[in-house]
Amino acid sequence: MSVDDGYLAALAGLQLMNPNRLRHVLNGRSAVEAFDMATGAAAPSPVLTVIFRKNKGLAQLWQQQRVGQPPESWAATCAAADVQVVCESDPSYPAQLRGDPGAPAVLFVRGDLSVLDSRRVGIIGTRNATQQGRATAVRFGAELAAAGIVVVSGLARGIDAAAHRGALHAASGRPAGIVGNGLDIPYPKQNTDIWNEVAERGVLISEWPPGTRPDAFRFPLRNRILAALCEVLVVVESREKGGSLITVNEAINRSVVLMAVPGAVNSRASAGTNSLISDGVQSALETADILMALGLDGRRAGRQRFDARPRPSGPQADIVAACRDEPRTLDNLLLSTGLTIGEVALALARLERDGWLIENGGWFEAVDEWVDLT
Amino acid sequence: MFASISSAVLVGAQGYPVRVEAHVGKGLPGFSIGGLPDESVREARDRTRAAILSTGLQFPSIKVTLNLAPSDQPKSGSAMDLAIAVGILAASGAVPPESVARLSFIGELGLDGSLRPVPGVAPMVGALGDSDVVVPVGSAVEARVAALGTVRLVESLGELVAVLNGQIPWPEYDAPEPRCEAVFFPDLADVQGQPHARTALEIAAAGGHHLLMVGPPGSGKTMLASRLAGLLPVLDRERALEATMVNSAAGVQLPAGGLITRPPFRSPHHTTSGVALVGGGSNTVRPGEVSLAHCGVLFMDEIAEFAPKVLDNMRQPLEDRYITVSRARVHVRLPADFLLVAAMNPCPCGGGAPGACQCNDAHLQRYIRRLSGPLLDRFDLRVNVHRPGVEELLSHEPGESSAAVGRRVAAARVLADERQGCLNSRLAGNRLDEFAPIDDAGRAVLRHELEHDRLSARGYHRIRRVARSIVDLRAAAQLQIDEEAIQVALGLRASLNTTMRIGRVA
Repeated sequence: MSVDDGYLAALAGLQLMNPNRLRHVLNGRSAVEAFDMATGAAAPSPVLTVIFRKNKGLAQLWQQQRVGQPPESWAATCAAADVQVVCESDPSYPAQLRGDPGAPAVLFVRGDLSVLDSRRVGIIGTRNATQQGRATAVRFGAELAAAGIVVVSGLARGIDAAAHRGALHAASGRPAGIVGNGLDIPYPKQNTDIWNEVAERGVLISEWPPGTRPDAFRFPLRNRILAALCEVLVVVESREKGGSLITVNEAINRSVVLMAVPGAVNSRASAGTNSLISDGVQSALETADILMALGLDGRRAGRQRFDARPRPSGPQADIVAACRDEPRTLDNLLLSTGLTIGEVALALARLERDGWLIENGGWFEAVDEWVDLT
Repeated sequence: MFASISSAVLVGAQGYPVRVEAHVGKGLPGFSIGGLPDESVREARDRTRAAILSTGLQFPSIKVTLNLAPSDQPKSGSAMDLAIAVGILAASGAVPPESVARLSFIGELGLDGSLRPVPGVAPMVGALGDSDVVVPVGSAVEARVAALGTVRLVESLGELVAVLNGQIPWPEYDAPEPRCEAVFFPDLADVQGQPHARTALEIAAAGGHHLLMVGPPGSGKTMLASRLAGLLPVLDRERALEATMVNSAAGVQLPAGGLITRPPFRSPHHTTSGVALVGGGSNTVRPGEVSLAHCGVLFMDEIAEFAPKVLDNMRQPLEDRYITVSRARVHVRLPADFLLVAAMNPCPCGGGAPGACQCNDAHLQRYIRRLSGPLLDRFDLRVNVHRPGVEELLSHEPGESSAAVGRRVAAARVLADERQGCLNSRLAGNRLDEFAPIDDAGRAVLRHELEHDRLSARGYHRIRRVARSIVDLRAAAQLQIDEEAIQVALGLRASLNTTMRIGRVA
């Protein structure tokens, strides 16, 4: 851990710091110089003078922080959280980000950055995903990871977490997680296990120093890094105005290949992906499609998992078929099958036990064999 | 001169006999009341004085002392006005003392000497035993419901004095005798589709299981709940009296026949205060909604919008089926044996099909946390209700009527009563093995659920009780619970946690 690390972290950790300001402050200077300049120990550069003039009180705020949180304490924090600090001049700085218009000046990293040297596919989607969406994300994640691809995602609830879970399921999976808060605060909390495993087996990247809270504005910002790190970006499920579409726009700006998973026309969770497809985005129906887009042989993506579930028959098969079209309620199934509530309840319970269906707030969704990982 | 008159006061939903002792004797002119009267009783001084003068009688211009015995019990309300006036008249010799000896008096006086009805006549008359009681004409129906002795009706103080002096006989007024009255309940046949929720209503009615409906706005939760009271059997005489007493005490308009024979349906709004819900008040303890729903249905729409403190008041009545309201000077036990039906949205935005919810986690957590775990645990039945599909709405096929379902419910209640002497929801855990044995297949299902942490120990008992009701509804006396009943019961216990996307333990 070099002395610079503490200064870089202290710079990135200044209140009201944002990626643009950080870029202007560093701008080829050494970390110590930049920190002195930002906190009033040295004369500010012309750009910084303008920034200070436009934002009343910012200069004083930063001066106070020089005393309140000195670079030494930042260095200790980073070391304690096992976080490496990488700036643009470092040789380990990801090559994909060099020259990127929105490249972060400083990266905070847990894990191994060389993971990013492999082929990379981003899998993103809504946080309010359906079971089917999550199962698809798990399947893609697992099968891509098994084919040696690095799965890049945002570790959010829903599709992101499912993709990472899938990637971690494959023995050789080395996923990359791009997050919007400090690396010492797993967010959301229920994903703490994936968070740590991604850091252990792959790499976890943030542009914010440890201790940064998961504020809402940081997530759209991290999407540009996520998009820049992918070769192919797959959107599994998205609302018509979902946050995933921010990442999609960033990907389009960077000429990243975009793919989307189609869904039922009346499913709200697929409204965004369906409209992407109708705009001409390639559809990703199975893992082979994604491998083809990477220029790899699609045959490598045979189904990696044997479907060991007992096949349903009779009315149970009808129920699974009905749920595959769209999520169904018990009422719905009672009316469409004409069975009694007892018979339907029995059938549903058995199908759920065997892993064909999942109940979600009174709706039954058909799922594939990956469901146990969602 | 001294006179002692029998009357009654209302405390909570219970009447208590009171002796109004009047003394008129030497001393400076004055009028004082002892025996812990509150402001409403003290005002009786002015009312009785004016009423006696308006009637054309003499108000004694010497010292008038009243005592309300037992004198350590705080008293409230205007029901003793008439007894106070009669006491003064008897003590001052305006009416013969022996004419009032075997009578009790209840009623409020107007300044012109007219008599007005008061709330709670039924429990007050009930507390007076078999003595003859004089009440205002307007309270005739309530008094007759509870009276063991003769009910005498009078319209004014003047009329009463004339009767007591033997100038006229007791007047006769037309008041309907207590009888069963058909109360209109909305019919279950109006509900299109919703077979799942209908089943839940039927089971709730049959076993007395509390029911929670979770569903998006417009899914018909309120419509379904309002039909539950119509499925319950008519109250027997004893229960009808209990319900009538409480409603009379709260001043609720009683049906034309006087006796509440159909289970009451109460639906307090979610802004209701804790006191309004469980009863209370500073001077008079007034029965709350839980007591007004005694023997009937309490429907709490948007239960998550109720203040959490208010909801936690519900725990005692749900557990004990009565509520004890304690204030510094009064402790009142009010009956509160009701069937609780609650409705809520799955999340603040209303939810819908998977993927449609747009709430963030923090909102969702806050919303669920408003319902405490212990309260949620009281609901044997938790069903997800969904918006009916277009085809269901357009089918125009009327569902089963309340009458048809009500017959099955009544039969199932009889079965349960003959077998164990109580409703299925009241079966104690240690009696379940005797009255609700499970067959092997059903046991295997429950074992699977328990092993996979999808059922808690408490949930296990609740499932067995609900399954008991499901089997009873099949109209065949079958002791053993089979797998199908268990599965249906499990299906009717939607784990709120999956609905709320958190975990899965029911």
